[in-house]
Amino acid sequence: MFFWRRKNKRENTGNIDVPQQFLEKHKNEKINKNLEDTLVILQQLLGANDDIVVRRFRVFKEFSAAMVYCSSLVDHTQINMDVLKPLMSTSYRDETWNSNRLQEIILEETLYHSDLRLESDLSKIVRSILSGGTLVFIDGMNDGFVVGTRKVDKRAINQPGTEQVIRGPREGFIEQLGTNISLLRYRLPTADLRVKTMEVGRVTKSKVAICYLEGIASPDLVEEVKDRISAIDIDVVLDVGYLEQFIEDNHMSPFPQIQNTERPDKTVAQLAEGRVAILSDGSPFALIVPTVFHQFYQTPEDYAQRFLMASAIRLIRLVSLFFSLIASSLYVAIISFNPELIPTQFAVAVAGGRAGVPFPAVVEVFVMEVSMEILREATVRLPQQVGGALSIVGVLVIGQAAVSAGFVSPITVVVIALTTIGSFATPAYNAAMALRLLRFPIIFLAGVFGLYGVMVGIILIINHMLSLRSFGVPYMSPVVPGNYQGMKDIVMRAPLWWMKKRPASLHTANRERIGDAVIEKLKQPPSNTLNPINVGNRKEDPPDGDTT
Amino acid sequence: METPREITVLQAAIILISTIIGVGVLALPRIAVLAGDTGAPLITLLGILLAFFGLVMITLLGMRFPSQSLIRYSEVILGKPIARFGSIVIIVFFAVLTALTSREFGEVVITSVLRRTPLEVTVIVMLLLAVITTRNDITTFAYIHHFYSPLILTPVILIVILSLKNAEVVRLLPIWGNEPNGMFLGVLTVAALFQGFFILTMIIPAMRRPDRAMTASIWGMAIAGGLYLIIVIATLAVFGAEEVKLLLWPTLELAKTTSLPANILERLDAAFLAVWVTAVFTTLFSSYFLMIHAATELFQLRNHRMFSLFFLPFVFIIAMLPDNVLEMYKLIEIVGRFGLLITVVYPTILWMVALIRKKRGKSHAARKNR
Repeated sequence: MFFWRRKNKRENTGNIDVPQQFLEKHKNEKINKNLEDTLVILQQLLGANDDIVVRRFRVFKEFSAAMVYCSSLVDHTQINMDVLKPLMSTSYRDETWNSNRLQEIILEETLYHSDLRLESDLSKIVRSILSGGTLVFIDGMNDGFVVGTRKVDKRAINQPGTEQVIRGPREGFIEQLGTNISLLRYRLPTADLRVKTMEVGRVTKSKVAICYLEGIASPDLVEEVKDRISAIDIDVVLDVGYLEQFIEDNHMSPFPQIQNTERPDKTVAQLAEGRVAILSDGSPFALIVPTVFHQFYQTPEDYAQRFLMASAIRLIRLVSLFFSLIASSLYVAIISFNPELIPTQFAVAVAGGRAGVPFPAVVEVFVMEVSMEILREATVRLPQQVGGALSIVGVLVIGQAAVSAGFVSPITVVVIALTTIGSFATPAYNAAMALRLLRFPIIFLAGVFGLYGVMVGIILIINHMLSLRSFGVPYMSPVVPGNYQGMKDIVMRAPLWWMKKRPASLHTANRERIGDAVIEKLKQPPSNTLNPINVGNRKEDPPDGDTT
Repeated sequence: METPREITVLQAAIILISTIIGVGVLALPRIAVLAGDTGAPLITLLGILLAFFGLVMITLLGMRFPSQSLIRYSEVILGKPIARFGSIVIIVFFAVLTALTSREFGEVVITSVLRRTPLEVTVIVMLLLAVITTRNDITTFAYIHHFYSPLILTPVILIVILSLKNAEVVRLLPIWGNEPNGMFLGVLTVAALFQGFFILTMIIPAMRRPDRAMTASIWGMAIAGGLYLIIVIATLAVFGAEEVKLLLWPTLELAKTTSLPANILERLDAAFLAVWVTAVFTTLFSSYFLMIHAATELFQLRNHRMFSLFFLPFVFIIAMLPDNVLEMYKLIEIVGRFGLLITVVYPTILWMVALIRKKRGKSHAARKNR
């Protein structure tokens, strides 16, 4: 007898050793009427976890029932007030019960919780327990009640750390998908905003939301995004960056072909241009497809500022981007091969500075660039309390000491500082990273072939960029292939009323952004309401000191 | 082979411009002046007109057979054996042209910038750049030309403008030149510098509107030819005919005489040469692309990538054949003049035979409606 029981037990445990596999095998299994049976199954599946709570009670003081939830995921106040209280305190003694009627009464009259539904599918029940739902089973009933009582601690919405602006909204995405979508919806109260969710990840079952504006985004693009995402089969999706690596076009390219942003306002702006945003639960970033290169040096602030200043700042950003790529290699090329290019006095100064340096310029620059990269990476990893101190030590002390030790020349330090600072002026971290790493091969080429090598390196990079596509959109558009409308937003940021159309490369269904009436209105001379001459003619109380 | 029809008229014109403008610009004034001293601008103009005649022939043929390249429609016009022989000659010719272009630029680089670098290295770097890039499709080919075109046009115009302060109009006279007997050969040599226009035969099948190819070729030839002409005029006006004859690369010397205002850069020649790498690259890229695509079509292969590396050793060996600069320029002149048979005479014959035999390709509209 004893033996038989043990054997039986082992068989049992063998059957549902891994609950997820068991559920996948018995996908469409339903729970049955018997409360105890249901509880046994759930106990076997989830009982090993100490935070699964089974609470038995009586509904309407009559029907035996049980409530199952995961105590770490739920809001206990809600369970007490919205589930337990109405079910336990009410009593309906006068009527003749059958189970159907009971279900109706509970559903429609007793429980006052908005997120309430019936579920009989075992795997779905387990899923909803594990995502924070509370399950109420009543003896003799085929379905369990699922009450949405999820409460997960979340970070407050604050300014995104990677994309700071001086002027513009201060909100950033957080980890919870629901909150992120609400941030989008709050800015886009239109029926056209579509949010399609799907699940990716065998273990994490992360919710992935594809957001776009119906009637603006190209339907083919939306289909393509869905196709690419649904093809992903991976165990965990911990960040939206996991998805990026599966859906990008060229996996070998150093350049990012998909933009990511922490800013809801930026996401909304891109949606309104006809792009598609992809969000994933657990990640404070949104992916934006398709992406072209010029998006990486634009910021949402450009559009909030007045256009002249915004254009000037964008130009500075473009220059710094260029600097971060080639300043150090140009220095190497000119110093080592063509010192005749620079004015004589300066060449003398450079030579004087380099007099004690034992290495060729290329080695010097290379060592300094590498140490700068080490410093940068260290500052990212360091705790904030010492980060500032270290960067001072690194930059000032080591830089100064290296120069006075005769290890590098002062001008090299200046050049390296320029390239490093230049790379931080690029708003998009991933694009800046690509250019920062690409400068190493160019420095090498400059050391071997001088200016000729720099040009060869740049040509190779640009050719590669020209061959890239992001969801079919040429990476360098609208510069190449040229589009006059799009060019207004490349180097300069044209006034908003000049940019009447959405980018042609996105093939949006609706291209008009600005009504013609607005432009007509702008062309009319402004009515100077408070012109002192007009106001003065009305002869009201003469203001103090007015000489009219 | 169905090619995507994506190239616009503007892009086609730009491809022509950036293909034509190449390393030839550096030596052009010397070639023209040697042929007819002060008559050099006139010789250049006549050379442009001769080249333009060839281009018009190519364009007319292309518009007659809008979905095929010369390799294919020559088979229709002349029959397979003769046409295939012609195509092989074209491929070999462009292999030689690519080789000589890379060699010429390699010589320029080692003479003026990298004096201690072996010639082989600079040549192979340039060729490898072309080889790697030709692995892309024709759309990217057009994009690449499009992107670099400002980089090709600006420095030339800049240098011409900056050098005007040293220019004297009297050095241009007499316009007819002093000894017109060398003119004919000079015209041929100058026209040979424009042979890159042959790339149009590969472009037309990929054009969105092949019927507007003539617009592209007129604009392309006008801008490229205009640029060549002003360079010759500027060089002649700055140096005078006798001086130009002594300079190996007069355009480069022109860059040396100019300086930017405020002395930002002490000398411009190295910077000019650095930017000129792009111009040479686009030319090499086009001729290499033409070569491997012609070979792909001749052997009826689906993918051109296989050939891109295959041709490299041959082209490199041809590039290394001349012993020195002088021999190289002699070879360039001979090959160039012979090449006119391929790029001007052969299309003319094709066009006339096509007219006589009333051969015509499927029109663009018919293709569209299908």
